[in-house]
Amino acid sequence: MRRPLALIVAAALVLGQSSPALAYLKFGVSIRGRQVTVKWSQTPVRYSVSNTGVPGVTAADFQDAVGRAFASWQAVPTASIAYQLAGVTSASPGSDDGVSVLGFRSRPDLDRVLASTNFLIDSSTGALVESDIFFNSAFPWSVASAGEAGKFDLESIALHEIGHFSGLGHSALGETELRTTGGRRVLSAEAVMCPIAFTSGSIASRTLKADDIAGVSDLYPDADFGTEGSVSGRVTKDGQPLFGAHVVAFNAATGQMVGGFTLNAQGQFSIGGLSPGLHVVRVEPLDDAELDSFFDGTRVVDIDFRVTFFDRVVVVPKGGDSGEIAVKVVRK
Amino acid sequence: MRWVGGLALVLCAVSSSAAAQATNPGPRFNAGVGVLWNGRQPVGDKAATETTATGGTSTLFNTSSDLAGAAGVAGRIGVRLTRSLVAEVEAAYLKPQLRIAISGDSESAAAVTAAETIQQFTVGGGVLWYLPGREWSPRFAPFATAGGGYLRQLHEQNTLLETGRYYQFGGGVSTLLVAGRHFHLAGVGVRADVRALIRSKGVAFDGGSKASPAAGASVFVRF
Repeated sequence: MRRPLALIVAAALVLGQSSPALAYLKFGVSIRGRQVTVKWSQTPVRYSVSNTGVPGVTAADFQDAVGRAFASWQAVPTASIAYQLAGVTSASPGSDDGVSVLGFRSRPDLDRVLASTNFLIDSSTGALVESDIFFNSAFPWSVASAGEAGKFDLESIALHEIGHFSGLGHSALGETELRTTGGRRVLSAEAVMCPIAFTSGSIASRTLKADDIAGVSDLYPDADFGTEGSVSGRVTKDGQPLFGAHVVAFNAATGQMVGGFTLNAQGQFSIGGLSPGLHVVRVEPLDDAELDSFFDGTRVVDIDFRVTFFDRVVVVPKGGDSGEIAVKVVRK
Repeated sequence: MRWVGGLALVLCAVSSSAAAQATNPGPRFNAGVGVLWNGRQPVGDKAATETTATGGTSTLFNTSSDLAGAAGVAGRIGVRLTRSLVAEVEAAYLKPQLRIAISGDSESAAAVTAAETIQQFTVGGGVLWYLPGREWSPRFAPFATAGGGYLRQLHEQNTLLETGRYYQFGGGVSTLLVAGRHFHLAGVGVRADVRALIRSKGVAFDGGSKASPAAGASVFVRF
């Protein structure tokens, strides 16, 4: 018997919003005390698009833009997920009807939410049953190929939301600064799944990065993913395990970065989907976004430590793990 | 300087004194073993960057990597082809450190050099040519060498292997310390040489060929 449980994720915002992510890059839920990854159990995943446009974006434009975003995720060579357009619908996103719908809705009350993804999951397995994405028509939108000043790029935001739609949480691969008017402004990011969107007019988030590719491949691995490697280890401060540290593996040959978090009481982390080769590991406090963009409010995340590099070159083997590394950080 | 365990097999190069060479082609085979040193090789710089709203890049930190200079063991076997020309095969084993210097962190992390020790094996061959005009010294035989071979670099924990090729050219001198038949040996001598070493593939973050100086000293026997 299915007991659907709705989860709400808001992402790609001017200001990060909460998401119940319990695992790096992937959503998780607790089912009978066991942590389960939220993902689709079957592909292709069928979706419908709303027949409603907004100024500057017709329904056909909308369908094309989200189609390109779905195609980007589907094109990841090491992931097996596929998507299929089921058709155009007059239904709005957000109705729990078993049909995954993407469309516009006007939510002026959510004045920092550009778009949001809702889930229905099978509470016994964690399998996704439905996922809806709404784009807030209270903001100006654009599908112009080069972007449009003052308007948010629909394809970029759709790419982020479809990451959530597929089961990915937020990535912390981004740098931000606090705005005097409240919230944060993203300065740079190296993941489409960074919780804060670039400013209007930007089309910089139309391309998936290594971190996004690792995440979706980890969720839906295909045969090629088996040749990728991983880094695992433990972060401590004053000899005690540290929860919520952001750990980044940097490939010294390709320059690609993939991030993860210490996610348990032992301060352990594991970052998968890495190209075999030599890596530098950097550990930083999670201070570039609101903590509840990554973890639920019950978690105590330690951000009182200095950015630290592991002092050994980390060897990531083909299809294997680096072996546990131990990173010690110190207080700020 | 830390010595790597394990004796490298090796082989080659023999030489003989200039005087002996001048009057007698000498024994046909030579074998030698010794030490070598490979100089530092930069292996590439790479910045960790993030994308900005305009599609530009913002640097999170910089890395600059090299293979540190290292000493190792080497050996050779040589076969005299003509009075002045010797064909050699050689093998060597070193344990250089790969160092990645990390600096310029955008959040002011302390600069760090991350390191690991690599096991490097080479097997190759080449020719040694005794230079003409050796009359300046009756004891020393100057020579020039050129060759190349296969390179194998094994990272820590033996989980990642990189292979490549190397090419080298240089020169040196050899001298016989003991000449004449003793047991089965026709002579014992020493040899020193310097080389320019060019490596293709192997550890190279930027994909290019790498050059470094190298030097060696060995004891050899003729038989």
